[in-house]
Amino acid sequence: MTTTETRTPVLELRHLNLHYGSVEALHDVSFSAYGGEVIGLVGDNGAGKSSLIKTVSGVNTPDSGEIYVDGQLRHWRSPHDSMMAGIETLYQDSGLAPDLSIGANIFLGRERRRRGLLGRLGFLDQRAMEREALEQLARVGITIPETQRTVSELSGGQRQAVAIGRAIAWAKHVIILDEPTNHLGARQSAEVLKVITSARAHGLCVLFISHTLPHVLEVTDRIIVLRLGRVVRDAPTSQFTVESLLAAITGLSE
Amino acid sequence: MATSTQTEEVAGPASRASWLRRTLTNQQVVLFVVLAALIVFFGLRNSLFFQTGEFSNLLTDFSGLVLIALAETYVIVAGGIDLAVGSTAAVSGVVAAGWIQPLVNAKVNEALVLVVGTLACAAVGAAAGGFSALLITVFDLVPFVATLVTYSVGAGLALVISGGAPVGYDPGAIYWSASGIGMVTWLVAIILVISVVLGVVLHLTAYGRYTFAIGSNAFAARAAGIAVRRHLVSIYVMSGVLAGLTGMFFYIRSGSGAATTGVSNSANLIAIAAVVIGGASLTGGIGRWAGTMLGAAVLTVVSDGLIFINVPPTWIQVVVGALIAVAALLQTFRRRSRRLS
Repeated sequence: MTTTETRTPVLELRHLNLHYGSVEALHDVSFSAYGGEVIGLVGDNGAGKSSLIKTVSGVNTPDSGEIYVDGQLRHWRSPHDSMMAGIETLYQDSGLAPDLSIGANIFLGRERRRRGLLGRLGFLDQRAMEREALEQLARVGITIPETQRTVSELSGGQRQAVAIGRAIAWAKHVIILDEPTNHLGARQSAEVLKVITSARAHGLCVLFISHTLPHVLEVTDRIIVLRLGRVVRDAPTSQFTVESLLAAITGLSE
Repeated sequence: MATSTQTEEVAGPASRASWLRRTLTNQQVVLFVVLAALIVFFGLRNSLFFQTGEFSNLLTDFSGLVLIALAETYVIVAGGIDLAVGSTAAVSGVVAAGWIQPLVNAKVNEALVLVVGTLACAAVGAAAGGFSALLITVFDLVPFVATLVTYSVGAGLALVISGGAPVGYDPGAIYWSASGIGMVTWLVAIILVISVVLGVVLHLTAYGRYTFAIGSNAFAARAAGIAVRRHLVSIYVMSGVLAGLTGMFFYIRSGSGAATTGVSNSANLIAIAAVVIGGASLTGGIGRWAGTMLGAAVLTVVSDGLIFINVPPTWIQVVVGALIAVAALLQTFRRRSRRLS
């Protein structure tokens, strides 16, 4: 990834600080992220990964610091605000409603209404949603034979792919993926990583949070290492090996 | 994920067999067959069962159950439960009866009396539902406990207000309750129309979609920008209103309000039974309008039919229990077979 300095970063964090009571969760976190870039966000438990993504996605409000999306300073009052600004967040194991169809999940919260009076009364255009859901998923390389199937009937890998597919379909700028390959087998993880690659091809910025370092090294362009709420390394993935990454995470490299 | 193995894994060569199995284990299909079999069975045992007077009775009894059963469907699909519907019917009937008795005494046009009574019942029901919603969304009580509180308060207030005796006397209402076209009274027709509207809203609108989403995964629903809390409030208020309308239904039939309405027969549990028999999951996210309609119909036919074939009414609850057990087993079987496929 060549980050040309003239481009506007799709996401820029400046000096973010966050406290939970007396606990310092984030300390002066700054970085820029560009479209078409997959960034690995790694760190030990309690390093601040969750705090950081929750701050970017509007769950937490930072004590100080600024968030710029596509060059504009933004303030989130709720996760919905960040969504509307083009940031999609996929939380661990909680993105989908298992009893709803795949199509209904893709369009959850953004349902297509029928035209005219029926639409104003709240009637859904189910056919259009099922059709578009199929197209949206196909666009990122996910083939599902019928979108009327409920998510509970899918395998873990398929669910995750659908959840990411949904995030890619709606994200304008940034997708945040929190441990998307957790609990998945090797083949299913490979499928998820492929979908991430396809998100990059669509010009999105992907923030990929994972404990599985080989996955991080395989799919990212750049890695940001957090420790005790601070950014301790921010470098191209090519500069890391599993060993050096582990050392950076635990702090043994200094 | 674009690989062809993916497609095979999902569709599979066994898809035709699984389609057949799905149909055979589909709760609505099974219920429809059961309902038809019950009607034939009772009809063969006692030919009076097929006479139009009894069909009209069945429709009326069904109408007394269907609104609270559909209310319960919304609540259960959203992942909650509403134990208060029975006593809400009682308290709204009793309160409204007291309010409109002066109108009845003044010999005001009966239509006006009934419209005012209906609005009064709906208002009392909305207050009861709103109280449950307040306990759930603001004080974080689980729906079971919150609606148990509302149930108890409602049943108690109905007794206090009525003093244990029927409130009011409105012969005009009873007279109207029998009018209609052929076998279908206006009263039944209105309730059936409301039922259809509730089905359309549940399955075809954004409101219904959000109800399923919240019951299936409230976190995901919130993350998708759905106003979960507000939606839940609206569902419990709606449940209260429908229970209030049921209170009005019983007022119209008996010409007075009674504290026993919906309480002495545990209407709340019968409504929940109809929903469960209809294939809904008490963990939320699963349920169908057609299932509840058929569940309520089966319960109505069984309770009326058993009387026709001279089974003591005391046995009806045992039979209802057996029906719930069979419905629940069917659901377990379906879930297991789905996991295996």
